[in-house]
Amino acid sequence: MEDTMWRLDNPILGIGAIIVMFLVFYIVSYISNRKSSSVADLYVAGATVGPITNGLAMASTYMSLATFLGITALILELQVPFIMLWIQLILSIPLITIIYGTSLRRMGAFSPTHFIRERYGVKASIIAALFMILVSIMYALGQMIGIALAFEMAFGVPYLPGLIVGGLIIVGYVTIGGMAGASNNAAIQMVIIALMFIIPLGAIMRAMGGDGWFFPPLLYADMVPAMMDAMPNFFDYQFSPKWYFSLLGLTLGSLGLPHLAMRIYTASNLKSARKAMVWFAFIIGLVFSATYAMGFVGVYATQTQGLAISSADADKLTLILNLVYNPEWVTALVIAGAVAAGLSTLSGNLLAIGALLSQDIITTLKPSIPSKTRVKLGYAAVFAGGIISIILAINPPAFLVVSILWAFGLAGVTNAPLIIVGVWWKEANKYGAMAAALVGGILYIIVSPFVFPSVVLTGHGVTDGMGLSGAMLAIPVSFVLLIVVSYITNRIPKLQSTLTTAEDHKLIERIHGWTNVHPKRYNSTVGAAITVVVFSAVAIWSLFPWNL
Amino acid sequence: MEAYRLEVRFTVLLAVLLLAAGNIALFFSIFPVEGNLFGFPIMYIIPILSGWFGVLILTVVANNIGNKIDTEIEKANEEEEVRVEKQKKEEGA
Repeated sequence: MEDTMWRLDNPILGIGAIIVMFLVFYIVSYISNRKSSSVADLYVAGATVGPITNGLAMASTYMSLATFLGITALILELQVPFIMLWIQLILSIPLITIIYGTSLRRMGAFSPTHFIRERYGVKASIIAALFMILVSIMYALGQMIGIALAFEMAFGVPYLPGLIVGGLIIVGYVTIGGMAGASNNAAIQMVIIALMFIIPLGAIMRAMGGDGWFFPPLLYADMVPAMMDAMPNFFDYQFSPKWYFSLLGLTLGSLGLPHLAMRIYTASNLKSARKAMVWFAFIIGLVFSATYAMGFVGVYATQTQGLAISSADADKLTLILNLVYNPEWVTALVIAGAVAAGLSTLSGNLLAIGALLSQDIITTLKPSIPSKTRVKLGYAAVFAGGIISIILAINPPAFLVVSILWAFGLAGVTNAPLIIVGVWWKEANKYGAMAAALVGGILYIIVSPFVFPSVVLTGHGVTDGMGLSGAMLAIPVSFVLLIVVSYITNRIPKLQSTLTTAEDHKLIERIHGWTNVHPKRYNSTVGAAITVVVFSAVAIWSLFPWNL
Repeated sequence: MEAYRLEVRFTVLLAVLLLAAGNIALFFSIFPVEGNLFGFPIMYIIPILSGWFGVLILTVVANNIGNKIDTEIEKANEEEEVRVEKQKKEEGA
């Protein structure tokens, strides 16, 4: 079969939509940036963002090109299991908020690494920061691939020029804007993303003869019988309960994403952060449900309407459906929406890289650096992170979502255990943290197919590539090591002088809102023992055959 | 310790409920069910609805109880301060 070249016949429409969108974003960035004079302004917008803006910004940061383009591609190729995979990703901000977000906001943290430095010391924080830079780059990589695909389709140019032009424009925008620009823009972007995804989806459903076009996220049941006739196995779960259990690794992974947690620290107060979580759940639920509908409609079009989409074009499904069923100007707006989705997430990723490199590594090693130099270093790191992700995207993986979900797993292994256990268990110490991050992180990288293709747990390409199997082994190992190593080293008299036990206890009490220290609070040995037993069992289970 | 217990129990319970609401597919993969709801297979639509509205309801609950726990902790702090002051005065006398 000859591959169709999917692109706008009139590239001026695509270029126009993207230019107008960028003009709006640049103006908002410029106005916001005039207020940005300190490090706090750059990274957490002076912690003054209101709940609706913050909720929209959280959703926008999270609803990346993985949602707009990536997951629809996997639904097209592998159907319902990947809808089920995506559903639990809504838990990220709610779980971050209730488990540790408000505590870190109370502490006044700039980033998760800031907490790790206060809690476990400089060495552990640098190890965590290095892993988090890798997480952010892998996450940004997926966005860059999507940006390149959107530009490829809008401008009618090949992938590489699309990547370089699109990538440089976005990196320039983020470098100029800082987090205030990103937060204000992210709220606008979320509205654009929702409108340019859901309304055109309704038009596609109407063109196909669907009755529920006026609310596409949930009203496509009338298309189900035809789908069942054409593709009876569309709704099959396909995989064993073990595969579905491994999705919990992604949930934990989302708790470790540095750019996502940083959104909570931009809240003006704790009540505002919690309200933002409610807004996030409402908006992200709406857009995610529309994504499943878009995936369903894509499969429906290929199975019942004779639309042919090659595997190489799977990531372009959303754009192709618009190209086929909607007028060109609508597709141009959808492309602009896709660019907005990539832009908002890349902003979060790149600013996290900036904060990690300048605040968490360079300033930690050289605390005497003046504030102005730190701000400049932050901008330089944001720019450098963007350039690295562009370079990595030159040779992309088969699906853009693979690198993004792999990054989730790495965050779940190297970052989430340190923060969760660090916030809730006083005994956790720097030796446990370093052992957990290093051993867990290296183990996760070793069992991923990108380093040693023959050393994998399942042999099922997408499951190993997305890090589902690796995370099911490495996340429990990381938790167990953190608890066991901390417990043992706390009882070795020689090491007592190297630990900051009293300060750690004060910090934990303070971030939970207490003004005094009580020895029985956040000190449960039983809770730690249960965690070790359960997580050890999960790690062992991950080594048994997966039968996929 | 009451506010502390409330905080721990609330966090554990809410985390478990959120994980359950977002991972209904795991339960269906163990205990499959037949039938349709709102025109969709049950095993398709329930995880989607629970992953949106179930999680949304739980965030509203988390918002309300989280704020309440903050107030309880502040109250416990104030009581502790009063107790310490009183103890100091008694020791001084």
